[in-house]
Amino acid sequence: MRKIFLILTILSICFGKVRVVTSTTDLADIVKSIGGDHVTVTSIARGNQDPHYVEVLPSYMFKVKKADIYFMVGMELDLWAKFIIDGSRNRKIEVVDCSVEIEKMEIPTGTVDASMGDIHRYGNPHYWLDPKNGKLIAQLIAEKLTKAEPKNSDIFQQNLNAFNLQLDKAILDWENRYAKLSGKKLIFYHNSWPYFSNRFGLETVEFLEPKPGITPSPAKLNRIIQRIKSDKIEVIASESYFSDRAPEFIASKTKVKTVKMAQSVGAIEGADSYIHLFETNLKILSQAFGVEHD
Amino acid sequence: MLQKLVGGLLLSGLLIGQTTANPQFSVIGDLVIDQLTQSPALSSSGVEIAIQGYVNPFARADVYLHKHNDESPVELEEAVITVERGLPFGLGVRAGKFRPDLGKINKTHAHLFPFIEAPIGMTKVLGEEFYAATGLEANWLMPLPWYSSLSVGYFDSGIGGQDHKNEKEKNGKDYDLYEMADDFLPEGLKDKYEGFDKVITIRQSNFFDINETNHIEFGFSLYGEHEKNFGGGDFKYKWKPNKYRSFALQGELIQFELGNEHEEKKVHPNEVLIAGYLMANYQFKKVWNMGVISEYWQFEMADGHGKNSAIFFGFSPVEESSILRLKIEQVDDGKDKYIRGVAQLIWSLGPHKPHRY
Repeated sequence: MRKIFLILTILSICFGKVRVVTSTTDLADIVKSIGGDHVTVTSIARGNQDPHYVEVLPSYMFKVKKADIYFMVGMELDLWAKFIIDGSRNRKIEVVDCSVEIEKMEIPTGTVDASMGDIHRYGNPHYWLDPKNGKLIAQLIAEKLTKAEPKNSDIFQQNLNAFNLQLDKAILDWENRYAKLSGKKLIFYHNSWPYFSNRFGLETVEFLEPKPGITPSPAKLNRIIQRIKSDKIEVIASESYFSDRAPEFIASKTKVKTVKMAQSVGAIEGADSYIHLFETNLKILSQAFGVEHD
Repeated sequence: MLQKLVGGLLLSGLLIGQTTANPQFSVIGDLVIDQLTQSPALSSSGVEIAIQGYVNPFARADVYLHKHNDESPVELEEAVITVERGLPFGLGVRAGKFRPDLGKINKTHAHLFPFIEAPIGMTKVLGEEFYAATGLEANWLMPLPWYSSLSVGYFDSGIGGQDHKNEKEKNGKDYDLYEMADDFLPEGLKDKYEGFDKVITIRQSNFFDINETNHIEFGFSLYGEHEKNFGGGDFKYKWKPNKYRSFALQGELIQFELGNEHEEKKVHPNEVLIAGYLMANYQFKKVWNMGVISEYWQFEMADGHGKNSAIFFGFSPVEESSILRLKIEQVDDGKDKYIRGVAQLIWSLGPHKPHRY
C-alpha cells in the first residue's frame, strides 16, 4: 500500500508539472520564478557558456523530447535551438521566441554580410540584460505557462505579480545606489551590453573585438591601448566566457582595470538568479570605477 | 496595361515569397598543396554548394552540389528531404539522395575532416566520396532513459558506383572490392543479378552525458547488399569545457565481407576487408587545434594491407569561415613507405561552414 502511495506521489509530481526547456539560464530562472513548483525547467546553455555557439548534442534533443514548451532567446542568438528542437521529434512542443515584445536595439540598416562580423540582422539579441525587459519576458512566460496548465493560472499570475514587484523595487534601488555609474566610460570585450548600458547610463567607447565574434588583433589591441591613454578609460569589462589574455595584456600596458561580468545567470559567483545577475554586475562595476555604493 | 499589372503582381508576389521562404545558400571551396616534402602540387577539389531550408513547418530540405575542378558537370551529392517534426512515436524520415546513417564518418562531409582527407581504409569500404544513394531512411528515437536512435534505410544502389573518376585516378585505387564482385560474376548470373544491388542499412547509436563537459557516444552499423555486406562499430568521446579548449577521441572499425556464393555455387573467392581509424584532436586555443590519426586496412584474400599515421594542425584565423590545415603523414601501403605533407586552405560563404571536429 505504501509502495502504491509512493508511486502515485511520484507520478503526480512528474506529470502535474509543465516541462520547460530554455536556451539560456536567464530564461530558465524567470520560468522558475513564474512557474514555481508547477514547472520543471532545464537550460541548454550553461551560464558561463557563450550563447552564440552551443554545440548541438543528442543529449539536448533528449531533454527536449518530452518538454511542453521551449523558450528561446530569438533574434538569431540561439540559432542552434531549432536543430535541437527538430532532433527531439517532439511534435507537441510549443516553441516561444521571447524577443517578440522587446523593443530592439541596434537593428542594422543597409546590406548585412559577413564582412561585418557575426552581426545579427534583427538587432542586438542581448535584451535580457535590461531588467525592464525581464518583465516583458516574464509576462510572456506566464501567458504560455497558463496556456499549458490553465488550472494553475492564478498561481502563475500571483508569481508574475510578485516577480514584477521584486524587479521594480530592485530597479529603483539599483538606479539610486549605482547612480554614480551613469556617464562612466568603459570598454567591453563583445557587444553584449547595449541594453544594460542604456538602462544604467554607461557609455561604451570601444569593443576589444574589431567586429562581433572576431578575435582582437594585435593592431586593434594597440589602438585600444592608445585610446585608453588618451581618453583616460578606467575599465575593461568582458563576458565570463572570454579569455583574460587580451584584457590583461592591455592592463599590463595601461592602468586600466579589468573585470569579468555575468552575461547570464550562473556565469560568475553571485549571479545565481536573474535579479542577482544585475546586483552582481553593478557591484563589480562600481568597485572597478571606485564609486560608492551601499 | 493589364499585362503590366499582372506582371507586376507576379513579380511582387515572387519577391514577397523570396523574402519569406528563401533557403540558405552556402559555398565551400579549397586549395590543396600536396607532397610538401617532394614536388608540391596545387589542386582544388572544386566547390561545394549547399542549399538548405525548411520546406514547410514539418520538413527540411538539404541539397549539396559539387563542382569538381575539371570538365565534369556539376554533381548532385545529396538532395534530401528530412521530416523530423510532426511524426508520431519519435520517428523521423529522410528521402531522396543522401548519405545513409552508417557509421560515424560516412555522414561527415570532407571539409569537416580536421585531417583533410578521409582515412583511406574507410574509402576502400565506403567509396572515394563515401556512400550516398537514393533511398528512404526511417529513424526512431528509442524510448530509453538516454539518447538512443535506430535507423533503417533502403537504397537503390550500393557503394562504389558513384565515385568521381578523377578522385579514383588520383588515389590510384587498384584493388576495388565492388568492381571485383561484379567482375567475378559469370555472364549468365550477371543478367540475373543486374539491378539486384538494393541495399539495406541499419545503425543503432547511443549518446551519454558523463557530465556537463564530457560526452561519449557509440554506435553499431550494418550494411547488406547482394553478396556484399559489412558490419562496424564506432565511438566518440568529447571534452569541451569552454570555447577555447576541447578534446575529441574518435574511432571506427568496419569488417567488409564479399560473399562467394551465387545460387549455391561458389563463383569467386571470399574476400574480407578490415578497415579502421583512431583519431585524437585537441583544440588548445580558440583558433588552433592539433591531433593525430592512425589508419589501418587489411585485405584477407589479396594479402594486402596498409597503415598510415599522421599528425595534423588546424588554424581558423577569423571565426570558422576559413581554416588552414596541415597534415604530415607517414604512408605505408604495404609496398612503399614514405612521408607526405598536405596543406589545405578551406573557405566558406554562408552558414554551412567547415569546422573543427
